[in-house]
Amino acid sequence: MLQGASAGLAAGGLYAVIAVCLTLMARLVRVVNFSQVAIGMFAAYLAVIFAEQHLPQWAATAAGVCVGAVVSGLIGWIIAQWLPEAGIGARSAVSVASLLLLVSLSFILFGSKPKTFKSLLPGPAFSMGNVVVTQVTVVMVALALAVAVGCHVLLTKSKIGTKLRALSERPTTAELLGVPAKGLSIAVWAGTGLISAAAVSIVAPTQTNDPISLSFIIVPASAAALLGGFRRLDLAVVGGLALGMLQGALAQFEQMSVLRYWVPFLIIVVFLLWAERKEVWDVAR
Amino acid sequence: MSELILDDVSVSRGSGPVVSGVSLVVKPGSLLTLVGPNGAGKTSLLESISGIVSTSKGNMSLDGVPLGKLSRIKRSRLGLVHVEQGRTVFPSLTVQENLELTAKSPTGVDEALELFPELQKRRSSASGLLSGGEQQMVVLARAFAARPKYLLIDEMSLGLAPVVFLRLLPIIRHIADSGVGILMVEQFAQLALKIADEAIVVTGGRVTYGGPAEPLMTDPALLHRAYLGMAEV
Amino acid sequence: MLRANSLLARERMKPLAIAVACVLVGWLLSAVLPAYFVFLGTTAIVAMISLLGLGIVTGSAGMMALCQLSFAAVGAWAVSWLNSVDAPGGLVVWLPLGGLAAAAAGVVVGLPALRLRGVNLAVVTLGFAAAADLTLGKIQFPGTQTGIQVARPDLFPGDRRYFLFAVIVLALCSLLVHYLQASRWGSGWKFVAFSERGTASAGTSVTVTKLTAFGAGAFLAGVGGGLLSGQVGLVYPSSFTTIQSLALYVLAIVSGSYLIDMAVLGGILWVLVPELLKRFGISQDWGFVIFGALGIQSLTTGSNLGADLRAMWWRRTQRRRKSAEAPAAADAARAPAVPDAGTKVPAATSQTSAVPAAVRRPTSSAVSGAGALLSVRGLSVTFGHVTALSEVDLDLTEGSVTGLMGPNGAGKSTMVDALAGFLPQHQGTIQLAGQSLNGLSPMDRARLGIRRTFQQDRVPPTLSVGAYVRFIARGQASDERVEELLRFFNCPPPSTQLARVDVGTRRLIEVAANMAASPRLLLLDEPAAGLSHEEHVSFAEQLVQLPDRFGTTLLLIEHDLDMVRSVCNDLVVLNFGEVIASGQRDDVLANPQVMTAYMGELEVS
Repeated sequence: MLQGASAGLAAGGLYAVIAVCLTLMARLVRVVNFSQVAIGMFAAYLAVIFAEQHLPQWAATAAGVCVGAVVSGLIGWIIAQWLPEAGIGARSAVSVASLLLLVSLSFILFGSKPKTFKSLLPGPAFSMGNVVVTQVTVVMVALALAVAVGCHVLLTKSKIGTKLRALSERPTTAELLGVPAKGLSIAVWAGTGLISAAAVSIVAPTQTNDPISLSFIIVPASAAALLGGFRRLDLAVVGGLALGMLQGALAQFEQMSVLRYWVPFLIIVVFLLWAERKEVWDVAR
Repeated sequence: MSELILDDVSVSRGSGPVVSGVSLVVKPGSLLTLVGPNGAGKTSLLESISGIVSTSKGNMSLDGVPLGKLSRIKRSRLGLVHVEQGRTVFPSLTVQENLELTAKSPTGVDEALELFPELQKRRSSASGLLSGGEQQMVVLARAFAARPKYLLIDEMSLGLAPVVFLRLLPIIRHIADSGVGILMVEQFAQLALKIADEAIVVTGGRVTYGGPAEPLMTDPALLHRAYLGMAEV
Repeated sequence: MLRANSLLARERMKPLAIAVACVLVGWLLSAVLPAYFVFLGTTAIVAMISLLGLGIVTGSAGMMALCQLSFAAVGAWAVSWLNSVDAPGGLVVWLPLGGLAAAAAGVVVGLPALRLRGVNLAVVTLGFAAAADLTLGKIQFPGTQTGIQVARPDLFPGDRRYFLFAVIVLALCSLLVHYLQASRWGSGWKFVAFSERGTASAGTSVTVTKLTAFGAGAFLAGVGGGLLSGQVGLVYPSSFTTIQSLALYVLAIVSGSYLIDMAVLGGILWVLVPELLKRFGISQDWGFVIFGALGIQSLTTGSNLGADLRAMWWRRTQRRRKSAEAPAAADAARAPAVPDAGTKVPAATSQTSAVPAAVRRPTSSAVSGAGALLSVRGLSVTFGHVTALSEVDLDLTEGSVTGLMGPNGAGKSTMVDALAGFLPQHQGTIQLAGQSLNGLSPMDRARLGIRRTFQQDRVPPTLSVGAYVRFIARGQASDERVEELLRFFNCPPPSTQLARVDVGTRRLIEVAANMAASPRLLLLDEPAAGLSHEEHVSFAEQLVQLPDRFGTTLLLIEHDLDMVRSVCNDLVVLNFGEVIASGQRDDVLANPQVMTAYMGELEVS
């Protein structure tokens, strides 16, 4: 059971990183990015292709991650260009179409079978009693914390963070005061694309890593982001890690595997119903 | 050529024109007050100048540069600042951060806060927690910190008690005197006119009075007639 | 009259006739098409039926549903199970049962939609799709282990006959969708997509509306899934993957599948695109890449195939009609602005004789409370630290027209919201004809006879004028009454699409529709915004007749003093959430405080 939870922690770290990215996107550029993990998946697969071209593993991964950032920035540009004033629903729908596009594009470019990823971080880091903790787990948990803290510091302490928060609170007012809305939103897209690409690249070797399984990590990740109401980074991290451990623990019991599939869904439903129990009416007047 | 000029400007929204054929000139250092009843198209006019909505007819230029289809960002870089209706502070940002957004120099924030000494001790409070009057002070100081050439102010008094509004008026006059051209929309006509050099009355999207502010002040009947269409009051 | 009736009957028969014609075409196709295309055709029909369902949930009701094929899987599972236990009735009976099973799943997934909207709901449906996908992979469909094929109906053996069966099912589903869309449910779906507040104010339950949309959408998906199981015999989860659900969602948006013909076209694209790619030796995965790209294009431009084609068609017929008609007739099309000269009565004078004395205007609804239709005591509303309304008392006498005035931000719209039931946390009491309204939902209040209009446009452009008015009226008005009211307010005829009506006229239609509900009290929130001055004047003349002609009491938020003066007999002026003056119109207007509130004069000049 503990071993299972520990094994789930690596996935939990990934959920947490993605949840942080989703939260940032929802807050700063008003979108729930359903293609967040698909972008990372696409980058990780590209890295495999690059590595097959005799590039060193680190260079291939870096190149893949950069392409991921560019792809993400491109989707961001499309939305900033044509849907600058649209609501979060319409903007998020575009990311659903992007998810579809990226997954099927990966089928074409990389095939639908799982790839042999060369692990960037092989082997265990340490063991406590009879629970083994892998390097990937350590790095992912650290990455999740680092990303969350880093983003928090960036948002609250830097000049660009102030501009981003201003933009998220009153986009029109910020623009009237000369804050470059379009450029900043594309930067947010590219930045979160970069982070999720890096995270997926680290975890992919340890997961079922066909394009679809990877892309639909978006489901537990958005469940984690919802725990923070798409606003709070700390709760998103906690939610991601907890969800990963819970799934890992449940995976130990063969007879509960179906329940494990439904855990993210049930968490989403229960949590949302509780969180929005008071909100009754749509937009004011 | 250093003027903000609107020539025969019309603005349409959905059903039809909300502003038709408005011409006006804002000179640096002067204060032009735009008064008129609700729904007269005042806000739409300001929004067309700052680029939130586009004009359907007419020309606008700022210091000789045609505004045409320029983006909001480009207009703001030309020295145009638009203070929108409502208390448009960024609520989670502190007073300091609100001002830093626009401050052109390291001392810009301090200079702007000199306008409102009472904000000094609230520098690090989240601006969303301030009172309505204080929020409007932050908004004005923020606009001032941007060192605008022209300032558009929309309904500063909205939801404020007249006493609070009275505190803001001399500051607006002071900003104008520092060389900024101000176009101010106000429904509290009588108060706004006191600090204005010139006035324009807009009713039903059309200019029904344009000229010095003085006559409107001294002859309330004139204002009432232009403003409310109530000749008999 | 006879002619009109037969026309109407023919109009009613038209969908049936089209359905029969489609079945005949299907029969012909099933006979002449090569066997391979017949099989593909059945696959396309399954997609069409699922798309019809998505058209309801996503297209009409505007909810993001990313799990349509999971609902189809539920239907397929139910049918396979019924087959494996050898349930009586055969596929003809199992299909609707499969649909009902899916509908039940749809209602369960839709339950969160009561609280959640927009993108949160999309997360829920995606979570459902992903979990269902994995679960199906684990448990498999009944019969696949034992190899028991789903039995086709005896009348439709073989792929050709089964195609004909599928066409008949499609025709029946299309008819169902057609009649549902034209029903109150259908109007409700379009309404709730546009505004939940508007839906509740029309006395319709938002809950029921959303759940029926989810249920109907899932029902159709379930029928589609069941049809698929009859087509392939043994069902595998690979037909219902999440990624296919996403593709179907995107296709529904691209094609505009809330229109039946577009759902059919979408289904054809669903099989045609991969098939063409196959013919040219290109990977079929490009199909979803194409759908994805089209989806992005369609979403960023806010258009879809159906709407584009319809708009093109409309422009063409308009051009033709214009060139055919005399210019004089064309003028009349814009505005039936001048009704018969005789009916346009200058404010309430010549109508007097027709009005029973009881509903004559009282001189003033003094704050006594006796005989008041609406009585408000101590109404306070706070938002956070902000007090929007404080200790407001208000009495409206039956048959009066009261103006609610005050500068921007004074609390006027908050007042209307509180009266209509949108601010349940308010303090104080509200009574309608002695009955307390506290704790009643907006829907309940609307049914008791309090109706309101909105400051912002709450008229769904997807409806026709007639469907809109009928929806708002909730069966309170006959067709004649509806037409009479539309004429009275100079509105376009019932068949006009609201999308083609300008915003000012939409406000008039909103007022007319709410009058058709015969409310006891109508709250009008700046109804004249967006009207020209001339329209203002004629609107004022219409408003003033309402109490006498229809027995409705009016509360009117209005800024235009000319209008206030010509319509209202009483005035209430708010400032900073408090009543600063109330009573007879002229007294209030003469009150110096009122001018101060409006113009900020500190001392009276």
